[in-house]
Amino acid sequence: MSSTSNSPTGSNRVRIVVATSVMLTFISYWRAAAVILNDLGSSAFYACGIAEQAIGKSAPWFVLAVMLFAFAVRAVYVESCSMFVRGGVYRVVKEALGGTLAKISVSALMFDYILTGPVSAVSAGQYIAGLINDTIAIADAHGWVPAAVHHLFHGTPQVGVNTTAVLFAVAVTLYYWWENTKGIEESSEKALWVMQITTVMVVLLLGWSFFTLLKVGGHLPPFPTLANIHYSQESLGFWKHSSLPHTFAILGLIIGFGHSVLAMSGEESLAQVYRELAHPKLKNLKRTAIVIGIYSFLFTGLVSLLAVMLIPDDVRTKVYSDNLIAGLAMHMIGPEVLRLAFRAFVVVVGFLILSGAVNTAIVGSNGVLNRVSEDGVLADWFRRPHKRYGTTYRIVNLIVGLQLFTIIVSWGNIYTLGEAYAFGVVWSFVFKAISMLVLRYRYKGERLWKVPPNLHLFGIEIPIGLASVGMVLLSTAIVNLFTKSIATVSGLIFSAVFFAIFTFSEKVNRRKHAHAAAQMKEQFQLQLAESVERETVGIRPGNVLVPVRDYNTLNHLRWTLERTDTHEQDVVVMTARISQYGAAAYGLSSEQIFSDYEQTLFTRAVSVAESVGKKISLLVVPARDSWSAIAQTAHNLESSGVVTGLSSKMTTAEQAFALGSAWESIPEPKRQFVLQIVQPDDVVDTFRIGPHTPTMKNEDVVLLHRLWLNITREPGLENVHHHDILTEALTRFAHDYGARDREDIVKELRRHGVDGGPLPVRRIADQIHTVQPGPARSDRDDERRDDGPSSPKVGDSE
Amino acid sequence: MNFSVLLVTILEYMFVAGWAGTVVVLALTFVEDVGTLLDRKDENSH
Repeated sequence: MSSTSNSPTGSNRVRIVVATSVMLTFISYWRAAAVILNDLGSSAFYACGIAEQAIGKSAPWFVLAVMLFAFAVRAVYVESCSMFVRGGVYRVVKEALGGTLAKISVSALMFDYILTGPVSAVSAGQYIAGLINDTIAIADAHGWVPAAVHHLFHGTPQVGVNTTAVLFAVAVTLYYWWENTKGIEESSEKALWVMQITTVMVVLLLGWSFFTLLKVGGHLPPFPTLANIHYSQESLGFWKHSSLPHTFAILGLIIGFGHSVLAMSGEESLAQVYRELAHPKLKNLKRTAIVIGIYSFLFTGLVSLLAVMLIPDDVRTKVYSDNLIAGLAMHMIGPEVLRLAFRAFVVVVGFLILSGAVNTAIVGSNGVLNRVSEDGVLADWFRRPHKRYGTTYRIVNLIVGLQLFTIIVSWGNIYTLGEAYAFGVVWSFVFKAISMLVLRYRYKGERLWKVPPNLHLFGIEIPIGLASVGMVLLSTAIVNLFTKSIATVSGLIFSAVFFAIFTFSEKVNRRKHAHAAAQMKEQFQLQLAESVERETVGIRPGNVLVPVRDYNTLNHLRWTLERTDTHEQDVVVMTARISQYGAAAYGLSSEQIFSDYEQTLFTRAVSVAESVGKKISLLVVPARDSWSAIAQTAHNLESSGVVTGLSSKMTTAEQAFALGSAWESIPEPKRQFVLQIVQPDDVVDTFRIGPHTPTMKNEDVVLLHRLWLNITREPGLENVHHHDILTEALTRFAHDYGARDREDIVKELRRHGVDGGPLPVRRIADQIHTVQPGPARSDRDDERRDDGPSSPKVGDSE
Repeated sequence: MNFSVLLVTILEYMFVAGWAGTVVVLALTFVEDVGTLLDRKDENSH
């Protein structure tokens, strides 16, 4: 075999270095908190409205209790992350209770994730429809709606709230389906930006509400006693005809708590962002937990309380139950126009955060299903990449299909959606808490933090805190099974279907993987490495890195091999295994990183190398994004060049810019390299990545040379070099840019940047030639001693 | 006592006992959280 073999055993199998650590860009705890709050904070827009519809006016107390309890749930997540860096539900349940229960728990989690999208999108639609209707109603009250329109609609024109919400939800879901099919770029920057705007709204909302409360007064909602809990027909589910909910006071509290528990959905994201948190990780995780705890308590908890205190009962339950924050905005003191403007702001923020949650739901479910499929419990068919975009589009299609089905079946009924949503939320927490309890006895590895308090009796640890949280969750989840009939039936069917798919796929995959593993053993030898280092890969500095992704487009690899003497320069073929936030929750084994797809990809790469008769080294790198992976790998391997193919989504300049941006984020010291992008017709665009000598245009060289000719005629400046002139020019330019001429320079550069036209170098060069003709002289001797640009012959010939 | 009543009674005890323990968890973690927030060293908030 001509391609490769650095095999230590001397066999002829192709050695592949598999990096087991994901190449991550670490984020601060503020950014981590923003990512989580984009999901967790969105429930403030609908949680209390749903709870009040179920249990009456005392709902805000239950929402506040849920937000308080969420602090304790966070403690469970902190403990799990202190044990496993990827301490999400699947990993923890699998460790504690085995694969079957892990599959059940992940089915419940999928139900939670998939419903997040419809709930959020429909809620955003309800807010928009409410704003449209109220704006028209106010305009009509002022006589601004023409009589003809009034007549046409038989009264004040209004849009159907549920229909508008459904249309909006379908549009948003389809938009994010397309974005995720193309491959969306997730960024903590965007999450931080959304949370900054949300914070402005929260501060204004709370400040204005408290001011209103001071001015007009208000009454606290009735305390949650059995007499004050007013169950709706739907809120008792299978206990509709039972006397139990009306007899047992504490059962009433559990039912109320169960109807409010969806307010803390999104906690799972804490485990998912932990992997990305900057050092010191555990301390920053705790800080993140505190930030999201306080924020969601103030936002979801207090806003729910204030809404019930400030909005009159009849309006709140009839008009604003599905858009409570909008109702709050309309019932504060101040001019109507100002309140309407603030309500519009609430709707904009709601749109941003809720539609963001739709995307989070697709990305999160995609991440979970990807990892689960890598674990062999979902058929590989689902993971086959999109021909053009390379995304796992079949999983995205499945998720979005289920979401659209849910939106249409519920037809904008946020109450039904929210009730079903709570099923997934509470059962995934139950599995998590019980597993953590089991792991207290079964897990013997490192555990940096424990949920307090813990008693020690006769040498046995009794985890009182953990057990307490587990008991609250389990009792709530069991009561929910009886009181939420729709959620129970739909949740059980959904989970059962997913569980069946997982179990069937696992059996099929086990056979298939055994065959594939045998095949792979014959051809490839995996060598695991914690990180990518040149020594590990066994290559020399100055190598060429060739990133590959699609096995149908390996033309750039062929181009590289045909032009590289691999005896002198190594060629490293790498593929980046992209992991999203959701991926961080699961461990990556070599089989996960190097799956069927990578095997096919590398088999093709090896055939290309064999056909050219050259040697290649193979590398798989898990990463958060492909550009960072390429930049970091090129840096770590001391590569002199990177050769890629043309992206289907970007131009060559955009590809170079993306790689340059990724290179900028690598800490110093770092080395520059050349990027070559090979287009299908073998046209190659070359870029230098990192600071480098710019490519000078002929006119620039001519100008420099003419300046040099003139300056060296000055007495005492005969020995000046070309580079001395450049140094002087750049120093002057920097001085001018830093002082009085900055604006002029920027204006001039911008003008030429926009026009795309060249700076008037030739004209200046001609002027210099004209105004300073000087005596004729021979430059040939000077040229020999000058270390400047190599084009003075151009000047000489003129 | 029929099964439903027995189940509800058990769930009620679980819920109350769970909340009693959760209050202790919240009190203890609150003290620790204040310490974490006051400890500004190693902070990286970019």
